Amino acid sequence: MSKYIEVGRTYLKTQLAWRGDVLFHMLFTVTKILFACLLWGLIFEEREMVSGFTYHSMLSYYIISSFLSQLEKSGGISEEITYKIRNGSFSNYMVLPISIEGYFTAMEAGIVLFYLGFDLAAAFIWVFIFRIEFVFVQSGFIFCCALLMVIIGLFFMVQLNYFLGILTLKYEEISTFLMIKNNLISLVTGSIVPLTLFPEAVVRYMKLLPFYYVTYLPSMLLTGRCRQEAVTGLFVISGWCIVMQILIVYTWKKYSRKYDGVGI
Amino acid sequence: MKQFRKNYRVLKELVRLRFQNLMMFKIGFFGPFFVDGSLFAVQLLVFQAVYSNVERIGSWGKGEMIIYIGTYSLLNAVNMVICFFGICGISGKIKNGEMDLYLTKPVSPLFRISLERINPGSIPLVIMSVCIIFYGIHTADMQPGGKKVLCYLFWLLIMQVFYYDMEVLIRSIAFYTISTAKMEQLEEACLDLCMKLPGIAFYGIYKFIFYCILPYGIMATLPVQSLIGEMSLGLGIYGILAVCIFTGVTAFLWKNGIRHYNSASS
Repeated sequence: MSKYIEVGRTYLKTQLAWRGDVLFHMLFTVTKILFACLLWGLIFEEREMVSGFTYHSMLSYYIISSFLSQLEKSGGISEEITYKIRNGSFSNYMVLPISIEGYFTAMEAGIVLFYLGFDLAAAFIWVFIFRIEFVFVQSGFIFCCALLMVIIGLFFMVQLNYFLGILTLKYEEISTFLMIKNNLISLVTGSIVPLTLFPEAVVRYMKLLPFYYVTYLPSMLLTGRCRQEAVTGLFVISGWCIVMQILIVYTWKKYSRKYDGVGI
Repeated sequence: MKQFRKNYRVLKELVRLRFQNLMMFKIGFFGPFFVDGSLFAVQLLVFQAVYSNVERIGSWGKGEMIIYIGTYSLLNAVNMVICFFGICGISGKIKNGEMDLYLTKPVSPLFRISLERINPGSIPLVIMSVCIIFYGIHTADMQPGGKKVLCYLFWLLIMQVFYYDMEVLIRSIAFYTISTAKMEQLEEACLDLCMKLPGIAFYGIYKFIFYCILPYGIMATLPVQSLIGEMSLGLGIYGILAVCIFTGVTAFLWKNGIRHYNSASS
């Protein structure tokens, strides 16, 4: 465990080298809030409620979902693995005396911990600047469920991106697919608009997918909605983590032998 | 005329070379189409969801919004086909001194850089965008006359030039600074925002920023407004003025930058 903690700590420190990036990372979180503020401001001029949201509860949703989607930085894992496999330097990870997946999970944890404070600060600043009457959950139990769901959701995204990354061993070039995945994930995690705006049948199907529980449901729980889904949500996302782990182990066993260390 | 003929011959050769290059990596040929196609499909689904809960956003109904998404997609698609991949490399070429190669060739460096990486794989995206626009016109139950269509095409052309100007302008800053990475991030953030949000949603300080300082807000909005008959004379004049000013600034920055360029030590 101490090895993984050391990896996480190293990546946490590495972030300090790019202070300008941290500042811009914080500044660019405003685009999502600005989008929400302008779009929903225009819509709420003519009505008070949209799909159960008031203007301020809608913006509170966006503040939280933007905060959570900013925290999720595992997209870099699949890109890194693809790049390393393609240029033959993935061996650097294979010779490490720790699990490769564990290494990337610790890396993600280090990065998330570093950005956590900055993203929270950015969220507070936007609440203040955009004068949002912030709506937040009152129940401690729901808050804990949401927090746990966020952590499991982040872990699931690490698993997913690790899985996609190692698929390079079979498919060789997956960068186009990764970009398409990023576009689709922004929709299905509810980071562009709340999923509740979609027809009920669509939402029912989305509940079967893990992405519903990564950003959308935690954001809804933290704004005091969908309480009845909190516990089942934890089970569903945990189940998906187990399924993904099985897929990772199977894929790694099957294709790791294809890696010859000389690049593609 | 002589210059035109020379440029035409260069362009033909660049296209031939590019096709040769693309055929080596066949899998990635339609990559940009699938990536941007999915992006605009997501956009359509998002507004489909929003409009299933509200009738109008400001003065625009669902049809107008679909036309907006189609127009933005069309501007983006044409840009991808013609010059996007070439322009993307400007900052890198300035930074590592590769610009020398372009300056020593008997053709305009910007002309060559812009057109050396055309992307025919994005042509299906152009077709898809036109289909989205027709679908939007059908949804809005519009029957635009020839005059409006001509106006729309005129604004599309103007805004295509404007899009190109903005891309070159941001990357020309590389002549004067160490890195333009942050500027490019800013461009990406603005494009992302304005792709989701038409100019009619901006007001006050936001309108000033996205209409005057970083005028990505007018890019797809003005063509749509001209098609749906929402464009005032003042707005039209402002649009043309903005394009002229930004074209002038881009030309100045580029030409001055070339003079300022000091090979790999730039």
